This record gives sequence, structure tokens and C-alpha cells, in this order.
Amino acid sequence: MGTPVVQPGPLGSYAVEPGTVGPCHVAPDALQGIKRQQTNPARWNGPNWDEFSTAVRAHGIDLRETIAARAAFATDAGGTAHGLAHGVVIARSTEQVALLLRAAQEYRVPVTVCGGGLTTEGETVAFGGVLLDMTGMSRVLAIDANALTVRTEAGIFWHSLAEELRRQDLDYLSAPLNLTSSVGGTLGVGGIDVNSARLGCSADQALALQVVTPTGDIVECSDTHNAELFQRVILGYGQFGVITEATLRVRRYTPLRMHYFYYASLATAIEDLQLLDRNDASDYSGILTIMDCAVNVLVAFDSTEREAAFMANWRGRLRGYGELGFGLRMLAHYALRPWKLGEAWYLLQRKRELFPELRRPEYMRDGTMFDRSVVFSRAVWKFWGSRQMVIPDLATSAAKFVEAVERGNAVCRKYFPRYTLYLVGIKLRPEHLAHYEMSCIPPDAEGWAYGCEFEPMLDGRAYSRDYLQSFKNEIYDIGVDMGASYYRFGGMMKGYIRRVFGDAVVDRHLALKRAADPAMILNRHVIF
Amino acid sequence: MLSLAKNAPQPDKDFASCSGCGLCLLVCPVWRRTHDLALTPLGRAKALQHGANAADIAVSVQSCTLCAACEPVCPEDIGLVEMTLDLRRRLPQPEGEQARMQEQTARPPAPQPAATAVLIPGTALRERPVTLARAQALLARTGKLALADDDGADIALALEAGMPVPKQRLERFLQPLRRARKIIVADGLLLRNARQWLPRAELVSLGVALSGLTTVRRALGASDLYVIEPRAYHADYQRLVKYYDGLRAASGCTFNLDLQRIAIPAAAPTLPQKFGLEAAAGGDDGVQARWILQGRNVTRIVLECMEDAAAFNSVSGLPVVHLADLADDGNRRNNDSRNDNQA
Ligand SMILES: Cc1cc2nc3c(=O)[nH]c(=O)nc-3n(C[C@H](O)[C@H](O)[C@H](O)COP(=O)(O)OP(=O)(O)OC[C@H]3O[C@@H](n4cnc5c(N)ncnc54)[C@H](O)[C@@H]3O)c2cc1C
Ligand code: SF4
Ligand code: SF4
Repeated sequence: MGTPVVQPGPLGSYAVEPGTVGPCHVAPDALQGIKRQQTNPARWNGPNWDEFSTAVRAHGIDLRETIAARAAFATDAGGTAHGLAHGVVIARSTEQVALLLRAAQEYRVPVTVCGGGLTTEGETVAFGGVLLDMTGMSRVLAIDANALTVRTEAGIFWHSLAEELRRQDLDYLSAPLNLTSSVGGTLGVGGIDVNSARLGCSADQALALQVVTPTGDIVECSDTHNAELFQRVILGYGQFGVITEATLRVRRYTPLRMHYFYYASLATAIEDLQLLDRNDASDYSGILTIMDCAVNVLVAFDSTEREAAFMANWRGRLRGYGELGFGLRMLAHYALRPWKLGEAWYLLQRKRELFPELRRPEYMRDGTMFDRSVVFSRAVWKFWGSRQMVIPDLATSAAKFVEAVERGNAVCRKYFPRYTLYLVGIKLRPEHLAHYEMSCIPPDAEGWAYGCEFEPMLDGRAYSRDYLQSFKNEIYDIGVDMGASYYRFGGMMKGYIRRVFGDAVVDRHLALKRAADPAMILNRHVIF
Repeated sequence: MLSLAKNAPQPDKDFASCSGCGLCLLVCPVWRRTHDLALTPLGRAKALQHGANAADIAVSVQSCTLCAACEPVCPEDIGLVEMTLDLRRRLPQPEGEQARMQEQTARPPAPQPAATAVLIPGTALRERPVTLARAQALLARTGKLALADDDGADIALALEAGMPVPKQRLERFLQPLRRARKIIVADGLLLRNARQWLPRAELVSLGVALSGLTTVRRALGASDLYVIEPRAYHADYQRLVKYYDGLRAASGCTFNLDLQRIAIPAAAPTLPQKFGLEAAAGGDDGVQARWILQGRNVTRIVLECMEDAAAFNSVSGLPVVHLADLADDGNRRNNDSRNDNQA
């Protein structure tokens, strides 16, 4: 186990030197008392900044130090961690990124990489140093419609990639449902979609990457070429290099045939979801809860054949109701429980607001959904987005999933009046086991991992940062207790690393990180 | 409780509400050209949230083309165009514009048009008298139509700069329009404002007025690229997204719409370029027009807005026509005239 280097912090307090993962402070069976890292880590106070800025400007790099440039990156989608970089660089080319990292390494200046900035634990917030905005590298470089691959710059948003692919009747395989996550950011953390139970996570689509290492070397890597770098960068939370280009698998575009089934029990819905996934019964599947007693299983298909096969073989085995059947059931339920009218009203409101949004006529043609990512993503931002978002998650093996979700759901109930859970399966690729090490994919998962995001509806109410953080920690504690993993790291999550992955794995990765990034400059607030 | 206001921009919502979701970037022509977050609504809102003032972000504020594409996609329903205009009001105003408006005010009052419908065609269409005459003839089929004497081009520019329009000048412009029941406006920004100035009149864009005519609809084909004028479209997005979806279903033509059904502007001139203070080349380098055309198998470009012609002519050899020119297609005109009514 590495020995933590302790030195006085800027305010005279003691801070842990970046690049150190301290020993776990608590007994193995205790959850209370896991050392909570500050949400805003101590700010890097700028030694060598002037020399560094002179050096990078001498290379023609546009380093912006105005408040207007830096403020755009002062927080991430979570909105709980805030920090300002000393300067911002918009990534414009691989060579420019390499020059920047070489100078950062030489002058020991931290570099925080930001794609879409949709992290929620402050991973893309720079607490001093340079903020590298990857969205400046957003060009699609080549589309091979025969080989079904695309080569793209890694700062591109998945939605912008989809716009270009659709002009050739192609589509990406799977991507987060939010439109503004970037390819590079997603390959580094995972990426789940409602087709991940079939196609795997977004990171599994990557065939090859161009990476700038923390020391400024430009390296092309894949499973067969510089494989170790590829394995560490994929699902590597930006610790081992900046992804500047990616070759991804793509597919022919198809509109979607959607079906929604409604459940009163979360456990039953999860069992049915897993039944569908195990049997490859649908092309898309996922769960979205509206309330504990109103759970929506979404099932969709790329073709009429697949839809017909589902109807013939699997529909009858699902225990969920159609919209009308469920509506009648709910009516009976609340007629017998008039004291729960508030709940019934909320459900009705939700139905009135959300459902039309999922069926907007301009995105539907002949009963099929034409632009699924647009429909779902716009709804996500409209109904769940706000200046603060807390979305803690748990990723477990299939066997542990029901218990993990039910425990997480109980935590949500304790903290918030209304919340939503989003659950999907993630098909694992046996040949990618090396990619999954120390990632969001739990080590004990076989065949599929399952992910659940717990998303309170903040509805404009003011919650203190401590309150939100306590909520997140209670969810994360479940993961430690059950041997799960997480999609999000950074911020408070740093304290969990050893408990989650164990000393042997963490120390091995730490040694690799130290070798790859001697000054420990790259994304230093995420894991190491 | 979350409101279900369907992405209607709310003037009372300003930069403070910006969540940083970034959806506005996906549709912003300035972002497409620069990939510089600071030049987007997100960049402006975040800068203001962290203490910047209008002067700190002046370049960003002036780079906005007011295409309004960002408004319908903003999940927080922030009035983003108004936000930009409000910031422009705090910046030094372009010189010469007040004088231009005074000059217009001094013109003798225009006569009241006899017709109940008035067309305000804008400068670019006036410069094409043949096309303008066709537009007039087409629109006159549904009732008597007068051509406005005053295009309000100076007012449109002032609005664009966030400058106050002197009362007398506005009155000179509005007075001849007050009795009109229907006003057809080519300039999208003028249209947006005219809805507030003339709340009782039916105000429609030239594009919608022409494309609603059977003659024009019939002349549209599956190999046409139909270019919607973005400002008018985004200002009335919830209604018009359905209107154009219907037109697509009826005609089979392709639109300059992205996957979110937002109109991609054909050109993106900045404010200083519009005032002739900067060369247009940087602002309209064909990026937008090329992006609209990319991967699209079309044989003709049909415009709602004459200003877009230059952008397409500079990047493609395809024929570029105005909607009004479609009336010359085929020999159906006489037959169709009996059927012409507004959709
Ligand atoms: C409203 C909302 C909805 C979401 N929905 C989903 C969903 O449906 N599915 C899902 O999987 N996730 C979802 N997420 C999580 C989020 O989409 C993912 O974290 C996302 O994939 C991150 O992409 P990004 O571009 O925003 O990455 P960022 O947040 O910018 O970065 C993520 C990490 O990668 C690093 N990084 C960024 N770019 C690079 C690069 N080019 N090279 C190396 N490192 C880099 C950053 O430093 C950071 O540590 C959601 C988040 C929000 C806020
Ligand atoms: S109005 Fe147009 S140019 Fe201005 S910020 Fe919005 S999308 Fe960009
Ligand atoms: S779309 Fe609206 S809320 Fe989202 S970043 Fe842009 S201005 Fe902010």
C-alpha cells in the first residue's frame, strides 16, 4: 500500500498530496467513517504558472485567463463542486495537446480535461491549473459505410456525431442519453444506453484510439497495438492520457418500435428486464421509475421481425401492464386509499407532462420513433436537469441487482419526496476483461452488469451541499457493502477507491499512473 | 412541480437559470464555426453567473446572429435572444444607426394601403423585382395585397443591435400597417417584434405565406432542399415544427432541419459584419451552407429568404430559387389559382 505524502495545505491545514491514495482509515466491516474527501479539493496555488504560460504561448497555444473564459468551466453538471482554472485552452489539434502536456509535465501544472463536462462529482472541474476543453476537437474525420466504422476527433458530442452519421443513414451503437456528452469523456467512463444490454457500453465500441500520454507522446492504440495503453485509457477516467481521436463501430440507422409496460413492483420489473436481456428478446430495454409503485419498463425493436418475435414469445411472460390496464389498476388502488390522493395527483401530472414529450409527432413517423436519442435526451434535461444534479449510481452483477436497487431506493425515499431510477443492463465482452479492471464494471459481473442511477427530483428546492453529499454517500456505501462498482468517481468518491477495488488493484494502477505521469498532472482530482 | 410550458422562451428567466446542459451549442451556428464555448449562450450565461459583465463578454455578445435556434432547445426556457439583446443594450451602440432611423422618420407619411393584407418584403427581395412581383401575384390570389412602402430595414438593424427605436420612427413604420388584418413579413426578427407591436393583426412569415399556397406546394418535389428562414421559424417553433412536418409529408422535400428539427441557418454574420464594420468573409465562409448540403441528395435549393442565396451560390452549383419562383414551374398556375388558399 502506498504511503500518503502529507504536506501543509494553502490554509495551513493538511492536504494529501495529489496522486496519493491513502490507506483506508476504517475497519473492513465498517461503513461509517470512510474518510470523505473534500468536495472541492484544495486549489493548486500556481507555482511556475508564469513560466508555464510563457512557454505554452511561445508554442502559439491560446491560453485564456479572462474570467469569461474560465467561468464557463467553473462547475460540472453536478453543480456541487466549484473551482476556477488559472487558464483555459481549447483543444485544436493533437499536436497542440501534446505540446501542452509536455509543458505541463515540465512545470508540474495540473491539467483537467473536460469533454461535455457532465460529470457530477467535480471530475471536470479544475481547481487551478489548466482546463483543457476538448470540444474544440469535434470534427468527424472519416466514415466508412462499408466497414461500418467512423474515425472522429474525441471532443465531439455524440449528438453531433449522430447528425453526421445520419446523413449517411448510419447511427452510433450506444451513447448516454443526454446529447452533450463527448466521445472522449464517455470512452473514459463507460456510457450506457437503452441498447447496452445487447450492444455493451459505449466504451466497448472503440476499435482504436489516438491518445496523448501525460508526458506528451502521441500514441495510436488498440487491442492489438499498444494494447496496455488502450486497456488503461478505455474506462480509465482520463488518468492515463487524453483521447484525441477514436475509431468507433457504427451501424445502419433504424427507427424504433417502442413499447412501454407498467409495473407496481420494482423487483418484478427488474426480474422481467433481466429475463428479456438473458433471452435477447428485445433490441432495447430499460427501466424508468416514476414512483415506487409506478415503474416503467421500456422495450423497443429495430425491426418488425424482432418485434413480432417478442410479441409471440415474450410479451405473454412479462408481468407488466399496458397503459390502460395499469391506469385502471392505479385507479382502483387510489380509490381504496383516498389519503394517498397527493401521490395519485403527482402520477397523473407526470403522465400528462412526460408522456407527450416522449411521443412528440415531429419525432415519430408511421408509429416508429425516428430520433430516439433526441426524444429521450431532451426529456432528461427538461424533466431532470437543473443547476444542481445529483445522480449517484451503483453497478452490480445481475444477481445482486435487485437488492442493490431496493436498498438505493430506500435511501432515495429517506432523502427526497420524488425521485427517479434509471436502470439498464450492460452486456459484457469477455475479450474486454482487461478494459474493465478498476472501472464501473464490477469485477464479479459475468455476462451482464447492471447499472442503476438514482436521481432525485430537486424541483428547484434548495438543498445544502452537505445534504446532497450525504445522500450520495449513503448510496455509495451500499456499493462498498455489496461489492459493487460505480460510474462516477472523483470528489468524495476518491475515498472509496481502496474499499471498492482492493489494495492490490489500486496500487498496481497507481504504479502505472506514476510511471505514465511522473508529475501527476493529468486529471488529478478524479482517482489518483 | 415542473411546468410543461413547451419550451416557450420566458423573458423573466435569464442567465441565472442556465444549468450548463449545453443543448444550445448543438444548434448554434457560431459554435459550429468556432467551437469556442465562450461564444455561446452557455458561455455567456456561465460568465455572467461568475461575475463577468457585458463588456467582459462583448465579443461573444456581438457574435450572436440572433437566429434563435437555441431558444426552442433550451430546457430551462430561457429567453436567450432577449438575453443577448439586453447585453447588447449595455454595450456601445454602432454609429450611424440613429441617423439612419432619423432619416426614415423624416420621410413623408406613407399612405394607408387600401388592401387588408400587406407584404413587407425586405431589402433583398426588393432587389429582385421579378421574384418580388411573382411573390405579390401569388399572395394576391387569396385576397387584395399591398406592398409596404417601408421595409423597416433600419428598425430591424436597430433591433439587432439592441438599440432603442425612437417612438416617431416606430410610429412612421407602424401607422400604415394598423388597419391591415394580415401582414406578411420577410424579416424574421422584425416579424418577432411586430407581433408585440401589432397584436391584433395576423402576422405570418413570407415562407409560411407562400408555402401554404397549393401552387407552391405542388411545385415542391422530393429532390428539393427547402431552406426555412430560421428566425421566424424559431420564434413560433411549437406551431411551425408541425406545419413544416406536414409540408414534408406532403411534398417529400428535404429541409434545412437537424435531428432536433431546428433550422440550420445558411449564413451566420456577426453584428459588426451586419453593420459593415467587419469583412463578411469570416462570418460567412460557407460552413453553414456546406453543412446543410452535406450528404443530402438534392437537385434544387428553394429559399424562403432571399438573403440565403449568396451562401448557397458560393458553395454549390445547384440551382437556387426563391419560393415565389416556383410558381413558374409547369403550367398548373391557372388551374391551381382556383384552389389556392392558405394552409
Ligand atoms: C443529465 C445527465 C444524463 C446522463 N445520462 C447518462 C446516460 O444515459 N448514460 C450514461 O452512461 N451516462 C449518463 N450520464 C453521465 C455522463 O453522460 C457521462 O459521465 C458522460 O459519458 C461523460 O461524458 P462527457 O463528455 O460529459 O465527459 P466529461 O464529464 O467531460 O469527462 C468525464 C471524465 O473523462 C475525462 N475526459 C473527458 N474528455 C476526455 C478525453 N478526450 N480524453 C481523456 N479524458 C477525458 C474528464 O477529465 C473526466 O474525468 C448523464 C449525465 C447527466 C448530467
Ligand atoms: S441566437 Fe443563434 S447564434 Fe445566437 S446564440 Fe442562439 S443559436 Fe447561437
Ligand atoms: S440550453 Fe439553456 S440551460 Fe442549457 S446551456 Fe444553453 S442556455 Fe444554459
